[in-house]
Amino acid sequence: MIIGEGAEAKIYSVDVFGKPLLVKVREPKEYRIRELDISIRKSRTKREARIMDALNRNNVPVPRIVAAGEFSIYMERLSGRLMKDSKHSAMTMKKVGRVLASIHNIDIIHGDFTPANVMLDGGDVMIIDFGLSDYSKDDEQKAFDVLLMKRSVSPAMYRIFRDEYVARCRKGGQILGRLAEIELRGRYQTRTLG
Amino acid sequence: MAVIGIESSAHTFGVGIVEDGKVLANEKEMYRIGTEGMIPNDVAEFHIANSGTVVSRAIEKAGVSRKDITGVGYTRGPGMGPCLHVGLLSAKTLAKRLGIPIVPVHHGIGHIEAARHFGGMKDPVALYVSGGNSQILKLDAKPFAHYRVLGETFDIGVGNMLDTFAREIGLDPAWGSTVDRLAQSGRKYVELPYSVKGMDFSFTGLMTKAVTIADTLSREDLCFSLEQTAFSMLCETTERALLLTNSGEVSVCGGVAQSQKLREMMEKMAKGHGAKFGCAPNEFNADNGGMIALVAEQMLRRNLDVALDKCDIEQRYRIENAQVVR
Repeated sequence: MIIGEGAEAKIYSVDVFGKPLLVKVREPKEYRIRELDISIRKSRTKREARIMDALNRNNVPVPRIVAAGEFSIYMERLSGRLMKDSKHSAMTMKKVGRVLASIHNIDIIHGDFTPANVMLDGGDVMIIDFGLSDYSKDDEQKAFDVLLMKRSVSPAMYRIFRDEYVARCRKGGQILGRLAEIELRGRYQTRTLG
Repeated sequence: MAVIGIESSAHTFGVGIVEDGKVLANEKEMYRIGTEGMIPNDVAEFHIANSGTVVSRAIEKAGVSRKDITGVGYTRGPGMGPCLHVGLLSAKTLAKRLGIPIVPVHHGIGHIEAARHFGGMKDPVALYVSGGNSQILKLDAKPFAHYRVLGETFDIGVGNMLDTFAREIGLDPAWGSTVDRLAQSGRKYVELPYSVKGMDFSFTGLMTKAVTIADTLSREDLCFSLEQTAFSMLCETTERALLLTNSGEVSVCGGVAQSQKLREMMEKMAKGHGAKFGCAPNEFNADNGGMIALVAEQMLRRNLDVALDKCDIEQRYRIENAQVVR
């Protein structure tokens, strides 16, 4: 059963030997030539699977990866609701900040860190969709993860998230410094007529 | 009521005349670029030499008399300063002599609105690709109606990349379009750096690599591989924007949209999601005065004209800072 579709992949819900799993499949794209299409889908699937595995091994709360094929990743099915569809408490924001810090501390960036990619289940916070993630030591890339969350929640909620992130992240202060720089760039400024 | 639009941001001096959304004339003269590229002052002199004739030609072609013209629009930016000044001066001269209102127009909005107009679309995700610009945009109502940049190039525009590449490997002038033509007979795909991040992309790494391996394969195959890689990057990022915004429409505009290959790929991508695809005829994808007149007519209906002594140019006019009216 298909349960979700993004720009890059489709998500199916399946039962394997009685275990409820999700399969993320990168489907072919008609608009690009076959060689390029296969190369992109293969390398991204491989990268995503490796990153999820690394996060699993470091006990970062992300879905447990079960198996990976050339174009597909099998992972445990989660229960709960997306953060974008639920009210988020101060405690939630704190946990989200803590999890992002633990991801950045092992030099991984998420690449699309918004409430659409955070699952809440009871008091637990899980980060999903590492399709745009990468290995990176770059402050700028880490700052973008923070920026995306900042632009998705209220200023008060952001402050709670940020404070916990800075306290837990090894280069947190430096990364927030970079964030301030990014926000000075034309594209990220608040718009005024002129 | 006929509105005249003047475009002079780069190598084209263009004059268009529009009446009720119908383009009556779209005349232009293009500076021929030599191997040294565009030298702003030389291009500006070319524009000065041609402005009078192009204006007269457009008025004649449109079959209107000067007193039928009720407003004038000009490209405020972005573009090269000396070139923009010529357009501003021509527009101010017309405004003063004919006693009509004048309105500044953003060059990119001209392209996007032309594609929307001719493609019959309401509110598309727009891919704007030219020499200097490569952006993915969507209208945002707050705090005022403007185009929000969802994705853009981290370094150079895709057109600039194709032109520079062509010069580096010694292709004939009309470089970007020469790459496009050669690519049509290419068959073998060689993998090149494919650089996207979310809805953003960059082209310099791709270009450098393509130049480095230029001697190892045929020009056709090289151009084919380069173009496929660059256009796939643009399609993928636009696809992401399309799904993110839930827009059911996609448009492509700007100089590079003259490539049939790019339009085909974008259309396939849109169809894959059941979205409508549209673009303007190629005469409006290249720089032209008609698109400026189209936008100016809309703006003048809302009385957005500016006092003569307040009219200026802005070389780095950001698209988000320009108000969009419909």
